[in-house]
Amino acid sequence: MKTAIAKLLLAAGLGMCVAPLFAAEIVVIVNPKNPATRMFSEQAGQFFLGKSSLFTPIEHNDGPLRNEFYKKVLDKDSTQVKAIWSKLVFTGKATAPKEYASSAEVKKAVAADVSAIGYIEKSQVDDSVKVILTVQ
Amino acid sequence: MKQATLATIAVAVTAALAGNAAAQEGLPITVSGFGTGALTMTDTNDGLFNRANQVGGAGKSARTGVDSNLGLQVTAKLSENISLTAQGLVRKNGPSDQYAGELAWAFAKFKASDDFAFRVGRIGLPVYMISDVRNVGYANIMLRAPNEVYRQVIADNIDGADVLYQHSFGDTTVTGQLAVGRTRFHAASNYDVEFKPTVSAQLLLENGPFTYRLGHAKATVNVYDNASLNTLIATLNKFGLSSISAQMPLKDIGGSFTSAGISMDYNNFVAQGEYAKRKTDTRVIQDTSSWYLMGGYRLGKFLPYVMHGDVKQDSIRSFAGLPSSGPLAPLAAAANGAIEAGLQSTSAIGLRWDFYKSAAFKVQIDHISPRNGTGYFVNPKPSLAGQSVNVYAASVDFVF
Repeated sequence: MKTAIAKLLLAAGLGMCVAPLFAAEIVVIVNPKNPATRMFSEQAGQFFLGKSSLFTPIEHNDGPLRNEFYKKVLDKDSTQVKAIWSKLVFTGKATAPKEYASSAEVKKAVAADVSAIGYIEKSQVDDSVKVILTVQ
Repeated sequence: MKQATLATIAVAVTAALAGNAAAQEGLPITVSGFGTGALTMTDTNDGLFNRANQVGGAGKSARTGVDSNLGLQVTAKLSENISLTAQGLVRKNGPSDQYAGELAWAFAKFKASDDFAFRVGRIGLPVYMISDVRNVGYANIMLRAPNEVYRQVIADNIDGADVLYQHSFGDTTVTGQLAVGRTRFHAASNYDVEFKPTVSAQLLLENGPFTYRLGHAKATVNVYDNASLNTLIATLNKFGLSSISAQMPLKDIGGSFTSAGISMDYNNFVAQGEYAKRKTDTRVIQDTSSWYLMGGYRLGKFLPYVMHGDVKQDSIRSFAGLPSSGPLAPLAAAANGAIEAGLQSTSAIGLRWDFYKSAAFKVQIDHISPRNGTGYFVNPKPSLAGQSVNVYAASVDFVF
């Protein structure tokens, strides 16, 4: 039993060493009033590709955080995602997510809208939002 | 003049946007737009290449009019559930070979629940897989929607209403749409076509990298003011050939369009294909089967692709028992000419380059082989028959 825990810790430790491609860990956040408590990466990705209108995605301006999120969660690059949204926008099926310049602004937008979903660096999390997924 | 008009519009659009960007904060209005600036040319002057429902086209000298357009879309969100959307489109379409603006859409949308939405007003006619975005170059990999399939129904929008359903079942997202309405539009050859009414349904299944689509549309079609067909039918009747003219009704024609499509975006492989069948109760709108298949491979910002498309005719191409010689031979030829669909295949190779975050550069070469005639080329010289034509096009597509 003890060895198992030790192995786990070791694995986690190794993981930490290999993981940080992007400087910070990304978490997916929702409004604290949102009943959702946990979400799979695939589910979260749906909202940012406009495949579900259950939650309202809140976006970042173009930048490394957004690219990292797209790559890890959607397995797409930003031009692919842009093309997908242009299809949705110009079929009248959806309006493109609002974009914000910083994680603080994304957090504020999520805190202000019960149905919003966003993503920020883990270090930026506070009580105004609820984490439902840590992006691996 | 043409350039000046387009430039004026571009300036007006930019000015409107700049003003809007400043005023947008806090207002529930979003403005978005799309456009394509393109040059198109071919290696022959024996016929002109164009898109569906254009009167002119490109020959050996490069022209902007075939593939260029500019669209502007405004959405006002009145409440959590109600929004208004209008889309204006500038392009060359219909009997005039000039850039002209048209109101592509103007609808009110009511979101009844997370799954259901209703729209009323002018909406896109959802007969193709890329019906609504066929004019948005940026949203597509290919430079233009394949003519073989996308010329079969040339109506873009209807005035009516639709219901949209979208729900996710596990990994699969299901989208259903049922649209009812009417439309009357000017065909490029200077007559009017009316669908009254038309009912169009489509079902889409999205699962991971795959999207599957089935569509079926029905319409009662009326053809108005078609001088050459009216003359032909009158002449046939005058010579006692009413059994022939009876096969060419122009009013209350039943028509249907059935289509299936698939698209894929798997790792770096992309593919898209559609198969479509047109059927009507008049021989002058021929029964056709058409398809295309596109495949590509994404290499970072570059996406090379190949496409092949084909159209064949399912209805007869000549009337049995009409004289091929003697005094009625010219009339017989005219009657047979009226029931021949353009037949051709296209093999294309192209490259999309996402050179900027919301703009793409594309080049595409189409090798078009007409069969039993001159295919979809306009103003064809007889020498075009049996000849293959290369079409060269380059475009910049953007969205904002």
